[in-house]
Amino acid sequence: MTRRVWCIAILLYGAGAMLAAQEPGPVTTSDGWRLAEPGYTLQFPRDHGSHPAYRIEWWYYTGNLAAADGRRFGYQVTFFRIGVDPAPTNPSRWAVRDLHMAHLAVTDVSAEQHLTAERFDRGGVGWAGAREGTLDVWNGDWRVALDDQTHRVQAFDDRFGVDLRLEPGKPPTAHGDAGLSRKGAEFGNASHYYSMTRMPTTGQLRLDGDLVDVTGTSWMDHEFGTTFLEPGQVGWDWFSLQLDDGTDLMIYKLRRSTGQPDPFSSGTWVADDGAATPLPGDQVMLVPGRVWTSPSSDASYPVAWQLRVPSRQADLRVEALLDAQELDTANSTGVTYWEGAVTVSGRIGERDVTGRGYLEMTGYAGRPMSEVFR
Amino acid sequence: MTLFRQFIVRALVRDSRRSLATVAGLTLGVAVVIAIRLANAGSIRGFETALDVVAGQTSLEIVGAGVGVPDAQLAGLGWLREYGLVSPVIARTARLRGPDGVEHPLQVLGVDVLRDRPFREYQLLEFARGGGEPSAQELLALLLDSSSVVLTERFARRHGLDLESPVELIIGDRVHDSVVRGLLLDEGPARVVDGQLALLDVAVAQLLFDRIGWLDRVEIQLFDAGAIDDAEAAIAARLPEGLRVQRPAQRGRQVEKMLAAFHFNLTALSYIALVVGLFLVYNTVAVSVIARRSEIGILRALGTTRRTLLGLFLGEAALLAGLGVAVGLPTGWLLANGAVRLTATTVNVLYITSAATVPPLGLIDMLLACGVAMPLALAAAAIPAMEGASVAPIAAVRGTDRLESHDDGRRSRRAALAAAAFFAVGGWLATLGPVGGLPFYGLGATLAVIGGAAALVPVLLEVLRRVGRRLLVRWFGVEGMLAHANLSAAVRRLTVSVAALVVSLAMLAAIAIMIGSFRDTVTYWVGQTLRADLFVTTAGRGPAGPSPSISTEAEARVAAHSSVAAIDQFRTVDLTYGPDGDLIILGAARFEVLLEHGGLLFKEPADGRAAVARAIGVDAVIVSEAFALKQDVMVDDTIELDTPQGQRSFQVSAIYYDYSSDRGLVVMDQPTFARHYGNQRPVGLTVYLEPAADPETVREELLAALSPEFRLFINTNATLRAEVIRIFDATFAITYALEAIAIFVAIMGVATTLLTLVLERRDELVMLRLVGAGRTQIRRMVVIEAALLGVLSQGLGLAVGVVLSLILIYVINVQSFGWTIQFSLPVWFLVRSTLLVALATAVAGLYPARVAAGVAGREAR
Repeated sequence: MTRRVWCIAILLYGAGAMLAAQEPGPVTTSDGWRLAEPGYTLQFPRDHGSHPAYRIEWWYYTGNLAAADGRRFGYQVTFFRIGVDPAPTNPSRWAVRDLHMAHLAVTDVSAEQHLTAERFDRGGVGWAGAREGTLDVWNGDWRVALDDQTHRVQAFDDRFGVDLRLEPGKPPTAHGDAGLSRKGAEFGNASHYYSMTRMPTTGQLRLDGDLVDVTGTSWMDHEFGTTFLEPGQVGWDWFSLQLDDGTDLMIYKLRRSTGQPDPFSSGTWVADDGAATPLPGDQVMLVPGRVWTSPSSDASYPVAWQLRVPSRQADLRVEALLDAQELDTANSTGVTYWEGAVTVSGRIGERDVTGRGYLEMTGYAGRPMSEVFR
Repeated sequence: MTLFRQFIVRALVRDSRRSLATVAGLTLGVAVVIAIRLANAGSIRGFETALDVVAGQTSLEIVGAGVGVPDAQLAGLGWLREYGLVSPVIARTARLRGPDGVEHPLQVLGVDVLRDRPFREYQLLEFARGGGEPSAQELLALLLDSSSVVLTERFARRHGLDLESPVELIIGDRVHDSVVRGLLLDEGPARVVDGQLALLDVAVAQLLFDRIGWLDRVEIQLFDAGAIDDAEAAIAARLPEGLRVQRPAQRGRQVEKMLAAFHFNLTALSYIALVVGLFLVYNTVAVSVIARRSEIGILRALGTTRRTLLGLFLGEAALLAGLGVAVGLPTGWLLANGAVRLTATTVNVLYITSAATVPPLGLIDMLLACGVAMPLALAAAAIPAMEGASVAPIAAVRGTDRLESHDDGRRSRRAALAAAAFFAVGGWLATLGPVGGLPFYGLGATLAVIGGAAALVPVLLEVLRRVGRRLLVRWFGVEGMLAHANLSAAVRRLTVSVAALVVSLAMLAAIAIMIGSFRDTVTYWVGQTLRADLFVTTAGRGPAGPSPSISTEAEARVAAHSSVAAIDQFRTVDLTYGPDGDLIILGAARFEVLLEHGGLLFKEPADGRAAVARAIGVDAVIVSEAFALKQDVMVDDTIELDTPQGQRSFQVSAIYYDYSSDRGLVVMDQPTFARHYGNQRPVGLTVYLEPAADPETVREELLAALSPEFRLFINTNATLRAEVIRIFDATFAITYALEAIAIFVAIMGVATTLLTLVLERRDELVMLRLVGAGRTQIRRMVVIEAALLGVLSQGLGLAVGVVLSLILIYVINVQSFGWTIQFSLPVWFLVRSTLLVALATAVAGLYPARVAAGVAGREAR
């Protein structure tokens, strides 16, 4: 799952991830970070926690929520840990081993509002961090932690925020090859990646001082690795869809500078019972539709898509709940992207299906992602 | 207007030399006042601007007790984010050596750029072309390497540095090889202290400054800057013991307060120069009135009203004062630059390091110069002008009004009574305490004594008139007799200018006595207390921050030397004390070593050593005399000191004499200090050598052993003593400079008075020549008059000076600085200055003497 890597990329000047000589034990880069390799077995709750041996890690929560009066909302809460130096020689607590970023966004569909906020911190005296062994990740007072089996997601900006309880729903889905998701041709350009694809959610949203009780469904992604992207990959389109027949679908497509889809694009089909089947990139067809142009960045995003998976006889139309769901992080990462709640309708075989989901589109504004990666 | 041009302007032009002298005198007066104001402003301005710009958008800051804010405690302060953005800061000073090998002092700001960007704008040169600031990550990437330093473009350009230039950052005793990784544009914090700013990452700053685990402060930018009072109170209530919330301006106020006494005294001195300058204005106007008395008579006879005449002379005073102000302002600015160089040494050595710069002349300076000089000049002119205008025309033309009616003794009795009253008031004022730490009443006492001295002048002249004749005749023959007669005839006229000279000389004598006494006291103190053989320190103090420390490795190398018998460490931290938050110095030394080797001079109790012995290892302190006086603390009192754990009580065991800082020192035994303030590295080492060792040799060997990794300053006992006295003399250099100006102005005043007399006695001088007096005799006569006035003034000046010095030493000094000074008379200096004054006034009399001889010669023909 290569999306989101851009956030981190800026910090990886000349990352060059030189492989150390092949030795027994974990393979590491020359600067000491462990590469994602086959053979790693995901265990829970251990793997909900932090994996500081790897350079990059994120916890990604998105979801579609509704209030009792029928108002619809989307939300996104993301925590990133970006390794800078696995073993700083400076004994100061302020020495930077990892940087911690967090994004918060709430889409108020009826009010046609998309609110965003971000945090960026070093670990320092514990003002941001992530625990090993269990789920506990925080940045200031934004936090996601495990309360028994429940994921508690809390993040408030001064204007808006979320306080949600996410039940596990289906068991975790390991993507790719038993959780190893390949991103490129080179060895190690991969990540360990799993999702909780359908998490029943209750809680509250705050919007300009109003507290709104909401219920809905969330999707959680957790991914960690050290090296990801390769030259020529300009951006990606990523879908997480929850259909009303119980099917969940994760699709991502890397876009190359040649305009061709990248061979390492892929997806996962998760059946009602949680059984997961990998979808190779060539089994998924994505056709962009209506285009929305952002007034602030001038970027043009396809906010409607036709998605086909012929092997499953699936033909789905994905449409943004609100066109204007662009995040501008120019003040921190300098990258502008679109991430928002979508609605799904179409057919699988003979059945009509509908659903909800989230869509992420990068590489449409500013520099191509390959340059961001340098 | 025509009348003004013809009567005043023409006279001023005709007598251009005297006019120039007047303007010069006035210029000096104005310039000195302006210079002192600018110099005072300049020496703390460096710090204040630094504070303002470095503080940026900071609304509040959290500070710890002396040693800073512990990282560990900060972890529990996450709730601060409810109030605003929070940013950790290390603010220190370092020195930077570029490729040219020259060292420059730098303010170092260690920040977390991820958190700090909303507080301060960082515009980097290499990002400026792309427009705007670097992103937080870009800045962080530049700073994370511990060899990275970001300098200001201004500093770099001045010293030929560029991106990637290798530089040495000298912090404490360590030299760090660094690389210039970024250049801040000349905006925001980069403007601080003339660009002498370096930006580091907070982690790097902790490492390089040996402050791992500590911050100097935590800054808060409130979400609602309007609610600063509420936020301050709320945060104060929630902070754990040992931490304090304050506004950034608080630091500025502390420094201001620290320097207030110093500046107050400097300013007071400068006003004496102004007062003397105004005497000069008075004389000038008087001369111009008297010199044209017959013309006044003619004008009056032609129907010019008194009001018009008064207007003419007031106009003259305004013109002269205007010229004096116009020339005095820029002259003052130039003087200030010189003065700042002198005072900056004092401020740096005694108080803080800051890049002092003289601010440009502002509206306030013009208002000050005009507001002080103009009205006083007009007032000084009004009296003789009214006198001139009130002369009956016929008397003025004939010159019959000049001769003074002989004093029947009533006036001098009145003057003696006035003098007694002044001295009584002065004596009473001297008994009153300080106001806000400043010796207002003490200064009032000196003014009263000065007033008394001025009142004594007519008495003195009357005494001269009555009893001086025989002596003068015996010493100087007929010229002496004539001089006596002339002076006796002009007692009233002379009073003002002699008083000016007396006041200046009294101040000089007083200051000389005070400084001489102080110097003797300090020399004795240094001799008694500096017992160690070697003193090891690092370079430079931060602005109101703790000194850089000496590293363990460097200390080990010193200790390893075979001739070293014992080492004591000295630690200091700055602490706020008392309800007013006074900045004091808390020191720690090993009392056992102090007892065995050291030589403190105790004020109380009598057996100070026993008291120190009792203070070993317990919560007890010894305090400096300045601390005891300013904080009103006595032996066996209990004082409350801020510690990282909150306020703790310490018993005062003894009070000792100290002249190293007027801020007040509190010293505790090292184990006690460590118990309360943790393990801080020492800021200085005192080294005791084996008896046979030669300190200079050991010093050289130690420096060799420490180089090149460590940079420490090692003074031997002898060089440190010399250094203390050098600093002392540098401190008071400006005082002498000011007084020299005052005396110069006063002597010019005497010269112009004599000129007045000469011009007044034109007819008599002619008569003298006619009855056979030679030109030389007339010249001699006038020079004798001048020297006589000089000697008389010095005589009275010395007597009053002793009284003033007592007030300076026992009232003003104690109230401003809290030092005991043993009174001692610098006899040689006083003898020398007496001879000098007599000589100088005689020389100043040469010009009027030549004029007199010329007048007499010309008109006798």
